Amino acid sequence: MEPEDDLCQNNWGGSSSSSSSKRREQVCFTSQHKWEDASILDYEMGMEEEPAFQENSNNNNGGQVNVDFLQGVRAQAWDPRTMLSNLSFMEEKIHELQDLVHLMVARNGQLQGRQEQLVAQQQQLITTDLTSIIIQLISTAGSLLPSVKHHNMSTAPGPFTGSALFPYPREANNLASQTLNNNNNNTCEFDLPKPIVVEEEHEMKDEDDVEEGENLLPGSYEILQLEKEEILAPHTHFCTICGKGFKRDANLRMHMRGHGDEYKTPAALAKPNKEAVPGSEPMLIKRYSCPFPGCKRNKDHKKFQPLKTILCVKNHYKRTHCDKSFTRSRCHTKKFSVIADLKTHEKHCGKNKWLCSCGTTFSRKDKLFGHIALFQGHTPAIPLEETKPSAQKGSSACENSNNNNTGMVGFNLGSATNAIEEVAQPGFMDGKIRFEDSFSPLSFDTCNFGGFHEFPRPMFDDSESSFQMLISSACGFSPRNGGESVSNTSL
Amino acid sequence: MSHSILSALSEDLLVRVYGFLDPPCRKTWRLVSREFHRVDSLSRTSIRILRVEFLPALLFKHPNLSSLDLSVCPKLDDDVVLRIALDGAVSTSRLKSLNLSRATAVRARGLETLARLCRALERVDVSHCWAFGDREAAALSVAAGLRELKMDKCLSLSDVGLARIVVGCSKLNKISLKWCMEISDLGIDLLCKKCKDLKSLDVSYLKITNESVRSIALLPKLEVLEMVSCPLIDDAGLQYLENGSPSLKEIDVTRCDRVSSSSLISIVKGHPDLQHLKASHCISEISLSFLHNIKALKHLKTLWIDGARVSDSSLLTLSGSCRALTELGVSRCVGVTDIGMMGLARNCSNLKALNLACCGFVTDAAISAVAQSCLNLESLQLESCHLITEKGLQSLGCYSKRLQELDLTDCDGVNDRGLEYISKCSNLLRLKLGLCANISDKGIFHIGSKCSKLLELDLYRCAGFGDDGLAAISRGCKSLNRLILSYCGELTDTGAEKIRQLEHLTHLELRGIKNITGTGLAAIARGCKKLAYLDLKQCENIDDSGFWALAYFSRNLRQINLCNCSVSDTALCMLMSNLSRVQDVDLVHLNRVTVEGFEFALRACCNRLKKLKLLAPLRFLLSSELLEVLHARGCRIRWD
Repeated sequence: MEPEDDLCQNNWGGSSSSSSSKRREQVCFTSQHKWEDASILDYEMGMEEEPAFQENSNNNNGGQVNVDFLQGVRAQAWDPRTMLSNLSFMEEKIHELQDLVHLMVARNGQLQGRQEQLVAQQQQLITTDLTSIIIQLISTAGSLLPSVKHHNMSTAPGPFTGSALFPYPREANNLASQTLNNNNNNTCEFDLPKPIVVEEEHEMKDEDDVEEGENLLPGSYEILQLEKEEILAPHTHFCTICGKGFKRDANLRMHMRGHGDEYKTPAALAKPNKEAVPGSEPMLIKRYSCPFPGCKRNKDHKKFQPLKTILCVKNHYKRTHCDKSFTRSRCHTKKFSVIADLKTHEKHCGKNKWLCSCGTTFSRKDKLFGHIALFQGHTPAIPLEETKPSAQKGSSACENSNNNNTGMVGFNLGSATNAIEEVAQPGFMDGKIRFEDSFSPLSFDTCNFGGFHEFPRPMFDDSESSFQMLISSACGFSPRNGGESVSNTSL
Repeated sequence: MSHSILSALSEDLLVRVYGFLDPPCRKTWRLVSREFHRVDSLSRTSIRILRVEFLPALLFKHPNLSSLDLSVCPKLDDDVVLRIALDGAVSTSRLKSLNLSRATAVRARGLETLARLCRALERVDVSHCWAFGDREAAALSVAAGLRELKMDKCLSLSDVGLARIVVGCSKLNKISLKWCMEISDLGIDLLCKKCKDLKSLDVSYLKITNESVRSIALLPKLEVLEMVSCPLIDDAGLQYLENGSPSLKEIDVTRCDRVSSSSLISIVKGHPDLQHLKASHCISEISLSFLHNIKALKHLKTLWIDGARVSDSSLLTLSGSCRALTELGVSRCVGVTDIGMMGLARNCSNLKALNLACCGFVTDAAISAVAQSCLNLESLQLESCHLITEKGLQSLGCYSKRLQELDLTDCDGVNDRGLEYISKCSNLLRLKLGLCANISDKGIFHIGSKCSKLLELDLYRCAGFGDDGLAAISRGCKSLNRLILSYCGELTDTGAEKIRQLEHLTHLELRGIKNITGTGLAAIARGCKKLAYLDLKQCENIDDSGFWALAYFSRNLRQINLCNCSVSDTALCMLMSNLSRVQDVDLVHLNRVTVEGFEFALRACCNRLKKLKLLAPLRFLLSSELLEVLHARGCRIRWD
């Protein structure tokens, strides 16, 4: 039982100077208000802010309640051996935190009256540390839950018998807040279910963060840390005879065959670590730590998340802690430290053809449409049209035809040619009407008008020109009076 | 004297009087005096432009226009629009409705100019502009106040263009995307998310899936949903509509092959106020459960179940409960007999439109019952009902005084006596007698003498009548604007001479009439000035004199079919250059026209053609410049 007591005292000793259990109880009951506030908040919204721990540096409600809760649990008959390793790990962590706070206290004396900002930073630091400790505590306690349930049923009256009842934190929370409103006077009932709500909130968050999707208990695996030089070395396997380096162990073994028959035996060619496995106890899972201090993947980090394989270590180290030396030859905008990333990029570069008016590009149409549906006023951008020679020829052709179109004379104000020149320079319009870029004067000027001068012009003439004579002379109809055709115009 | 009386009328009185006139009279009104003309100019709100040359002048003259129709205006292109924009005198700020249907030469530049010029724009029709694509859609999206948009057959429009419009014009409450084949679920989904005010949506013929229906079901105000022939939508999709779109009034799922009656039942369950249910050719049988649910629709006005198996008892049950039914479509329904129809006629006396096409077992008894009970009947389609004889038509003539439309195509039982009875329906506007071989001049004479309001007459392959009958029609049916005389082999130039009396004729089909020569065509051209559609396919004996006359007189011709005609090089060139409004030409199998003739003729009209049909070998014989110009002007060429 000693380690547990010790743990608690450490914990509270670390966070607040007075660590009497009396005060703890007091906080536990007076904290009712705070919980009420928290439960009013929607948890979906509150996720990022972690409302339960916002003011942890002062009184650490959530943690304390949890500890109380766990103490009760441990008071029951329980074999602690299985958890010993975990607890000792936590103990270590708490010691670290303690040291940190000591340091702060010492510094606080020196920097009295300094910026609020620093104080806030320190608070935040401690908060995160505590949070991580609490998470570990809770995850350790997770295996105890069946007995917790039993214990709760016997001790605490009320509807809440542990998290097993509430598979979804939200549900539990809503229910809790409901009952809270119903019986406001009865305060004792609520300090048990609340922490469980919070606990599950954190577990969810953690799972999101961990890339590997695994949630190994701290201490249940062996942590290896390679040195920087080792990680960056081009070759990791070296021939003991000639000194040649290889990237893969298998390649080295293939190479070794050339040094003599003794390297050709099945035993020599077999994968070396496979031999160790049979017979011996199931090996502790290996996980890797990044040698870079302060990195989340570094084992000394508070929220340490181990890397799964050596390859992960290499890629992680190169990506995060090395210069990006591989540059894109074509677009020059992106740099990569891992060559495979560059290759992946090259494979997809230029495929982001779905463009939004806000400038964001998407590789898939549905992603673009999702984006547009989400944001007010965003529209898909239409890529600039590649200049179509035929279309431009067409427009020039019709201008040519209009140019000598007698029917249009009444319609052009001023001389026909002037009007056409004006139209041919859309820049003139810019004051009133904005056109798409593709219709800028430039693209218009460059189009080939020449081709159409070769076109026999009279053929473009409109009705009232070439064949008119032919008709009146050929078949003796009376000369047409213009009114006939005009009369129908505005039907 | 009259001058003094008219001058006593003040302008506002004139405006009020003018308000009671119908369009043809308004035309005459203009000619009375300067003052009258001014009233007309000021009070005119809608205009249809036939020639682009007059567009600026007409816009200037009519400052209060709210609706502008440019759909039959050839040569309308970006440059014309830009010139109007540059001409500051034209006021377009009141314009609310703009019809640009088939204006394929107006592209993004012109559309954007128009959209910016007409600030109050609410309705735009760009249907059948096959070149209308994303760029054009983006230009149009500048008109933020747009409420109705018709984009049928804008073949190049994709989801991106639709998204531009949807984001730009969020007030849309009616949109038609029929045949916009590039539109997918993504576009429809975005449309439904952004335009919450949508009341009417047409997604017919699109390759959209159930996902789209799921989005559509979220539209709170949707009233009309048309999804004709959506092959990928099935029952699971329509289920979404059961609890969605609460104000749905009309749904059309015609020819949706994978839709069955079970999903229709769910729609009906969710919308007890449904008024129009159109499910032709998608349900195979009227099941009992379907009937049971349909019975609950007390406000059902339209029901189309064409192609389904219908029993007499189900028709009886149906008509017994849905007494408000005004329109029923049971064409090609197996199992429709006299008993069912008589029951229906008894119960649904409000019926206005009835489609019985290809219901082969329906006889005179049913028609008589319908005619006697449904006195409001306006439209009756009896195509291929071979058992119908003069008896049935007699009761139609006696009772159905409000009948406006009658389709007797391919009814063998129709004879002269039957036509005599029909002619008593004096309000008849549209009459189809195609393939009725037993009709002679006598019967046609009755129609001609009594049905004076007739607008449309179809005599396709009625080989039994000749020039005398046509003379009667020409004398009596003065307002006729659509006349189909194809393969009426008896007709000659004498008959054609009579057609010229039909001044309002706009659509004339003379296909395969061998006896008509140049003289006949010349007479028609001289008389029917409004002619816009002319089909002369296989009229082999028309010589150049006829075509010259056509080129000279038929200035409003928009569409012409000259296949197998003996038109010469010169005549074709004249036709094509002089017919300044021609947009759609079929020029297949012209044996006397050389390649040069085609080249010259097409060059003469290449800036206004929208559609062209040519023999395939010409593709390589015509100059590439010509084809490029045609393409650039938005002309589609079908190579036969």
